[in-house]
Amino acid sequence: MEVKTNNMNSWKLFSYILMAIFTLITIGPLLWTFFSSLKPHALIVQSPFKLFMEWSPANYISAWKLGEMGILFLNSIFYSTIATVGTVYLALAAGYAFAKFGFRISKVFYAFFAAGLLITVHSVLVPLFVMENWLGIDNTRIGVLIPYIGFGLPFQVYLATSFIKSLPTSLEEAARIDGATYMQVFWKIVIPMAVPVTVTMLIYAFLGNWNEFVLIMVLTSDSAIRSLPAGINAFAGGMARNYGFQFAALCIGTIPMILFYAAFRKQIAKGFAAGSLKE
Amino acid sequence: MDFREKRRSYWYLVGPAVLIYSLVIIFPVVVSFVLGFTKWSGFGSPVFVGIKNYITMMKDPVFLYDLRNNLLIVGTSVFGQIPLGFVLAYILYRKMVKFGNFFESMIFLPITISAVVVAIMWNRIFFGNSGMFTSLMRMITGDQRWIMAISESKSGAIFPVLFVILWMYTGLYMIIYLANLQKISPSVLEAAIIDGASEGQILGRIILPSMINVLFTTAIFAISGSLKSFDLIFAMTNGGPAHYTEVVAIYMYINTFKYYKYGFGSAVSIMIIILSVGLITILNKFVRRIERKYE
Repeated sequence: MEVKTNNMNSWKLFSYILMAIFTLITIGPLLWTFFSSLKPHALIVQSPFKLFMEWSPANYISAWKLGEMGILFLNSIFYSTIATVGTVYLALAAGYAFAKFGFRISKVFYAFFAAGLLITVHSVLVPLFVMENWLGIDNTRIGVLIPYIGFGLPFQVYLATSFIKSLPTSLEEAARIDGATYMQVFWKIVIPMAVPVTVTMLIYAFLGNWNEFVLIMVLTSDSAIRSLPAGINAFAGGMARNYGFQFAALCIGTIPMILFYAAFRKQIAKGFAAGSLKE
Repeated sequence: MDFREKRRSYWYLVGPAVLIYSLVIIFPVVVSFVLGFTKWSGFGSPVFVGIKNYITMMKDPVFLYDLRNNLLIVGTSVFGQIPLGFVLAYILYRKMVKFGNFFESMIFLPITISAVVVAIMWNRIFFGNSGMFTSLMRMITGDQRWIMAISESKSGAIFPVLFVILWMYTGLYMIIYLANLQKISPSVLEAAIIDGASEGQILGRIILPSMINVLFTTAIFAISGSLKSFDLIFAMTNGGPAHYTEVVAIYMYINTFKYYKYGFGSAVSIMIIILSVGLITILNKFVRRIERKYE
């Protein structure tokens, strides 16, 4: 018995140490970045660990102006919101049809979408870029939105289909007997019942769109229609020999996401775990 | 009449998704496949060159080195993130620490932060003259000129990148495993504890067998995710110094958008898909064999 409790205690100690190390490694760099963002360049170089007592937002103001963060922020909100709503709506619609219509062709389409899970953005960059050039929608907002919506679909269709499959059919049938069309059933019955998965889908898609980087870099060249990640990347290169500005830019990109995380952590976790949960 | 309405509604529901998806993914993949057999700079018409692009790729030491880096990333995910994520999840699941909720939310946090931000932040920490890691090491070693020598060496330069990948995604695996562990019925565990099962027996006989499928699914995520790794490395090192940290996706990007070798770049993209499908097939076979052993 003695041996067993000792053993338990050392396991506990090991657990605490592991958790503490991971937490420190996660939080330390973020805090360091945040404190550095409040210090002038010279002080960051001289004493990287000194907490600067006269905190000033000067870096933020400069980075905001220099990086044209205002417009990037608005663009990010625009792309993320529209692409997210678009993807989720299309995925729910397709999911309903796949789950409840019993058409044989659904299997083919579903397999098509599943294959998309394996295809990376990079595999289609060249043709996408060429196609958009040819259609004349390169470097436009619509040229960003359509691929954003398309790339969200494979996973979202999977989430929607498996959730709607698990819903009882009785309500839909009752509505059909009362003369409702399929579209009415979709809007008035399926969507309200699918609210839990819809919330997860919305948050998951929003996160992905907000952080998207490759497509916006390749498909746009005009900085006025780019989004935050592209703008922040500009601070990695020649734009910021001033570390203070650079850190401020990083914080401008991070702080909203940390707030988003604080508000929706459970849903974000659900979205990421959903792909692996056994029914 | 009714069936016709059903069919029409079906296409209203499915049509837009299938259309956009085909336009953005399926059609471009087919085009990529075709372009991969051509030489094309974006102007004029592509010239058919057969499998020359693939041969050039296989003979290019840069490509082979990038492949090595990609495999190291796959290895880091499969042998680093997955076991670590599992251990962390198991600690939380068995409530071996207090403040589990706090630890959980802290370790999962990096997943929300854009890869570009993560990349620049760690670039400053590791490589900056006054970066956090550099300064810490200078304090510890007492050498005011200490720099991260490993980032200049051909075989070692990738390690800081691997560390950051571990940093960013371990929490994700932890969350996935935790969600699946919580699905195991508590009564099974209680019964085992009453019967006097040790921690080791609980883990080996109850937990692991019910987690095999999830471990397999996450290994697939890890492989396809690893081959996709682009944003982080692009913004952190841009593949440098001298291709030392480059991966296949960056090789493709540089060849296509810097050297305008659209045909060659397409062939590299197809190669990424082939590699990803190939690795997953191998993994699948391997898992089937393990499953048979368990039966």
